Amino acid sequence: MISALAGLFTTPIELTGIQSFLLMLPLCLSIAIVYKTTRCRNLRDVPVAALVLWVTIVAGMYAVGFGLWLVFEIMV
Amino acid sequence: MANQRLTSAVRMPVTGLLAWLVPGLGHLYLGDRGRGIVCLITITATFWTGVALGGVRATVDPHNRKLWFIAQVCTAGNTLTGYALHRSIAAGESEGRKPAATAHWASVDVGVHYTGVAGLLNLLVIFDAFARAEPSSAKRREEREHPGGVP
Repeated sequence: MISALAGLFTTPIELTGIQSFLLMLPLCLSIAIVYKTTRCRNLRDVPVAALVLWVTIVAGMYAVGFGLWLVFEIMV
Repeated sequence: MANQRLTSAVRMPVTGLLAWLVPGLGHLYLGDRGRGIVCLITITATFWTGVALGGVRATVDPHNRKLWFIAQVCTAGNTLTGYALHRSIAAGESEGRKPAATAHWASVDVGVHYTGVAGLLNLLVIFDAFARAEPSSAKRREEREHPGGVP
């Protein structure tokens, strides 16, 4: 049981390009949850506030990525 | 009065230390159960997801990833457990056991980012717990949440 559990953390998972790109989403969600947990006065406000922040972070990052891609396409 | 000052002088470092050792434990110590449990689950899950993605051998590596390790060690309990696992694998390899599987660079990159971000999020939680443990800040919060002194 313990060796099976340890094996989960000792054997890496092979990721392709798109998978590593999509794994940004849960990471941003955990950032949004922890940040809003420390900031919200009432804990009941956390789910909605975290969801709004998560969408904002993801949309912002995609916008920046798209902007940089556009600059790259124009210049090269 | 002196007793209260002594209590807060002990309460603040104890809260900081507990929050550093286990994410959310500082909030739990202060009686903020909901906030503590949310931080504990989120940060621990983020850290161990990173370790599972990149493998502990490449992810928690103070020799090759010093700066990332400094970020990871902000969540001490998780990082020390990960490092103990890393050391046991390294010791097994030096004794001639089968070496741990090497990870693809994309997996290691994502894993290191997850664990580093988990550590930095715990730093935020430590500061928050520390601020909540400060008597003047706790009093201000109490007044704001219950004006007129009615709980």
